[in-house]
Amino acid sequence: MLKRFKFGTDLVKVTMISICTTVFIGVFGIAQADETCMSPYMSKIVGQEDYVYVWTLGVEGVGDEQDKLVTIDVNPKSENYGTIINSLSVGGRNEAHHSGFTDDRKYLWAAGLDSNKIFIFDVHTDPAKPTLSNTIKDFVSASGGVVGPHTTYALPGRMLVTGLSNNKDHGGRTAMVEYTNSGKFLKTTWMPTDDNLQGAEKSGKYADGYGYDVRALARRNVLVTSSFTGWNNYMMDLGKLMGDGEAMKRFGNTVVIWDLHTRQPKKILDVPGAPLEIRCAWKEENNFCYTTTALTSEIWIIYEDDNEEWQAKSVAKIGDASKIPLPVDISIAADDSLLWVNTWNDGSTRAFDLSDPFAPVETYNKRIGEQVNMLSQSWDGKRIYYTSSLLANWDKKTAADGEDLQYFKAYDWVDGELQEQFAIDFLAENIGFPHQMRFGAHALYQ
Amino acid sequence: MRFISNPYMTMFMHTKAAVAAFVLLSVFLQCPHAFAHGTEQHGAEPGVEAVEPPVLAPGYETLAFPAPVVGTYTLAEIGQAASGEIIDSSGKQMQLGDLLAGRITVLSFIYRSCDDVNGCPLATYVMHQARSQMEEHGDLADRVRLVSMSFDPVNDTADAMEAYKKSFPDSEIDWRFVTAPSFNALEPVLEAYDQPISRTALENEAVSINHILRVFLIDANGTIRNVYSASLLHAETLFHDVLTLDLERNNTNNNQLASASLNDISDGFSIDARTGYSDGSYASASISITQQARSADLLALAKANSLGLPELPELSRLTSKKIALGRQLFYERRLSINDTFSCAMCHIPQQAFTSNELTTSVGVEGRTVKRNAPTILNVGYAKRLFHDGRENRLDHQVWAPLLAHNEMANPSIGYVLDKISMLPGYAEQFEDIYGSSVDMQNLGDALAAYQLSLVTGNSPFDRWYFDQQSDAISEEAKFGFELFTGKAGCVACHTIDERSALFSDFGMHNTGLGYAHSMSKPVAHEVTLAPGVVVTIDPESYAAASEKPPNDLGLYEVTLKPADRWKFKTPSLRNVAITAPYMHNGSIATLEAIVDFYVEGGVENPELSALMQPLSLNDNEKSALVAFMRTLTGDSVTALISDGMAAPIGDAQSLQ
Repeated sequence: MLKRFKFGTDLVKVTMISICTTVFIGVFGIAQADETCMSPYMSKIVGQEDYVYVWTLGVEGVGDEQDKLVTIDVNPKSENYGTIINSLSVGGRNEAHHSGFTDDRKYLWAAGLDSNKIFIFDVHTDPAKPTLSNTIKDFVSASGGVVGPHTTYALPGRMLVTGLSNNKDHGGRTAMVEYTNSGKFLKTTWMPTDDNLQGAEKSGKYADGYGYDVRALARRNVLVTSSFTGWNNYMMDLGKLMGDGEAMKRFGNTVVIWDLHTRQPKKILDVPGAPLEIRCAWKEENNFCYTTTALTSEIWIIYEDDNEEWQAKSVAKIGDASKIPLPVDISIAADDSLLWVNTWNDGSTRAFDLSDPFAPVETYNKRIGEQVNMLSQSWDGKRIYYTSSLLANWDKKTAADGEDLQYFKAYDWVDGELQEQFAIDFLAENIGFPHQMRFGAHALYQ
Repeated sequence: MRFISNPYMTMFMHTKAAVAAFVLLSVFLQCPHAFAHGTEQHGAEPGVEAVEPPVLAPGYETLAFPAPVVGTYTLAEIGQAASGEIIDSSGKQMQLGDLLAGRITVLSFIYRSCDDVNGCPLATYVMHQARSQMEEHGDLADRVRLVSMSFDPVNDTADAMEAYKKSFPDSEIDWRFVTAPSFNALEPVLEAYDQPISRTALENEAVSINHILRVFLIDANGTIRNVYSASLLHAETLFHDVLTLDLERNNTNNNQLASASLNDISDGFSIDARTGYSDGSYASASISITQQARSADLLALAKANSLGLPELPELSRLTSKKIALGRQLFYERRLSINDTFSCAMCHIPQQAFTSNELTTSVGVEGRTVKRNAPTILNVGYAKRLFHDGRENRLDHQVWAPLLAHNEMANPSIGYVLDKISMLPGYAEQFEDIYGSSVDMQNLGDALAAYQLSLVTGNSPFDRWYFDQQSDAISEEAKFGFELFTGKAGCVACHTIDERSALFSDFGMHNTGLGYAHSMSKPVAHEVTLAPGVVVTIDPESYAAASEKPPNDLGLYEVTLKPADRWKFKTPSLRNVAITAPYMHNGSIATLEAIVDFYVEGGVENPELSALMQPLSLNDNEKSALVAFMRTLTGDSVTALISDGMAAPIGDAQSLQ
């Protein structure tokens, strides 16, 4: 379902969503976060993206000190290639973290883990210059106490927002919150806890009620959620956290399998050590997703077995777990052949070959720079972008000699080698700490 | 000649399977102009490249997973279904709302000439299939309706829609095919349903219409309850959703399941304590955040003259209204600079009004607080406040966290007062209670009133010691008390009076714990990463991501006298079993470890209290001391916690 056509002077390739139908995934093999991590209900850019939108943390003492959506021109044929072409400040430090498009890809929802505000940017009127269309300020009260809006995930006509915490104790118990695309609150679905499993099977020892990421495997009517930690921990200074024995016990150890249609939890799987990002395979026959555990440095496969039972299994180690490499963002190739894993602590990106989905093998490792965190790859896997920031109070204060501390870097993946194309030092530019990236293209809206 | 203008869509026509499916559909639906001229036109489009083979939407296949069980789930109320001018296939002008009223309605937007197999034909096909299931179910005819509304008022006239309607078999389930009288009449309807379209003029006055397929399920009250896209739309799930709505209409108590499970909570408020986390024996025991809570008569509890407690010093100035106002303020997250922090974020009711999950607190924007949040249960008896004892009145004390940069971070007193004045409901209460607008004094008074009311005595110890109920505590606990008042020497600071016991002299003492923190060098330490996963880490490995840990000199920071270095206030031991972790910096996790610390005699330093002496206690004696400390939990703790959980939490509202 691809189209190639002329846009300006550039030949671009996009997938389209319109024309009497919408994209239904699994069947088309359309991807996602990177373009391979987007919601299956969304159009994808499968050719050259024009822009990368970087949801960026404001930092005391840096520029205007507030969060902003930064637009970087990444089309090599543009005269502005490799430069920041727009910066839209939103006021305050909200702990800018993740963002996601609505299913029509007209709006980008960018959430603040601290302020609980959700900023809704219009990215379709002028993709080169997003504008702030609306701000949801009552996320906590409307949801009945959910704190820390994280993943903003497109469902048909709706946005599903995962929480990380709550307004009663700032711990890890939380919920998923649904909105219409227009920003109207719909419902809150709390994560299952021991006293209220909501009909789910507690398959192991844990049912912590924690949350983090969500992905849909529509062809199996499944939602998959992971679990991180509450506001207390993700907002705390990292050194203080490492020395706090009580706080270190408050990380998530679960992945929950949900009925996508009814939003009912079906099975709680033990995945100890803070499973974070979830990426589901694209091929129709691949009924599995991956997650990595931040603290125990493992790749886990969440899969449907021959009896149509969902299971979790640790299938690979990531670096030396005793040194806490801290795997952060991951990205699966559109053909399910490769899983990219960033390890924040050593600044490396690693490619794992998925020829055997149950035995990923690390085949490539490159140091990107201090505290590499997010990565976004193009649908064709030829371009990968990296940013550095993890959380405002977890980020490093000093860099190794000669290295940028907060950066955006663009690479081409050519013949099994990452080749740097350009980099932007976000501190030198007085911008802030760059976090998640999303792609934009004019062709989506023509 | 009609065809889809957007070239890539006709890629569907490039495969035999898709064409075959579409032919079948077209025949079935008697859809005019189906796939006419598609292939050659699009094949001729320059720059178009068919890359992916077309695939039929799931709605054409057998459902790949078990359909949802009717009545076991709820569908969110998405919004009101809009009305608008329409013409039905008999030519009658009416309002769309007339068709929606009183019936569960499945509404789709189509146009007859649409030839995208996964577009309008899919919607129509699925609705036809769902209608068949409705017929088989029986007795739904007067409660459900299907409506297909055209995007194309020019070509899809009432007559055309009537002809289209007649291409379907007769059924007792009503299916209306309607159109709009004009584009002007159509547009507000499409906007209301978020169905933006674009039209492309084609030759022979034909148009192609580009839109996102969405089918709407609307309940009998006219509320949209589900929206289906091509990837979600399937007759079986649609039918089950219809039945679920139908069941809901007959059963208003549709939250029965959830309510029942919430009522099952009977195990107090012990949240997931994560016991055995490091050794791997841990199994979760989590409790829902939405568990039921109950308001209490706090004034009555405060006046109850609880066994073992002296009379509350400021009881006479308490009123129910003051307590209620203070309670509201205590849980008011808008009392912080960025609306994220109330007093209760550190003094958490469910965690015995302390924070069990942190050794030291975290303030606004995650800023470091260097001390453990003490419980505020029985705080009305405290003669000194803060671990360093720097304050002596609760109504004064409240301003410190309100203004501290690393706690609630309000920039000024005036800012706080102005903000509270502007929040709905507060100004009236202050006027009513204090006869004036909110000011520095009455704000402190109200917040203090709530905290003063958190009184809880009548513990098992109290019943044994002050009421001579011999079986109120175990023999081991009685032995522990003997040690506590005897050779362990605890009572020297954790004092007991003749008629009451606060277990604190509210004095300032140096145990050496603060000294150790200030003077020791960072060393490798164990970190628990997951249940049973413990590693030893050199702090240097995360130093680059760490701020410099704050120092803490205790009372010295107030008096600047060297002799006051590392002196901290004696905390009350009441409710100590539920207020871990312990000491001013939360560095001791368990009561057992506390006993071990004192057995060692603390940490040697120049200002070490003379009361700190190594103790000679065997394991049985140490266990007995712990058993004794576990008898100090007040009998109204559960009521106070439950009340705190029932308190409304002030969060930012959408209109502000």
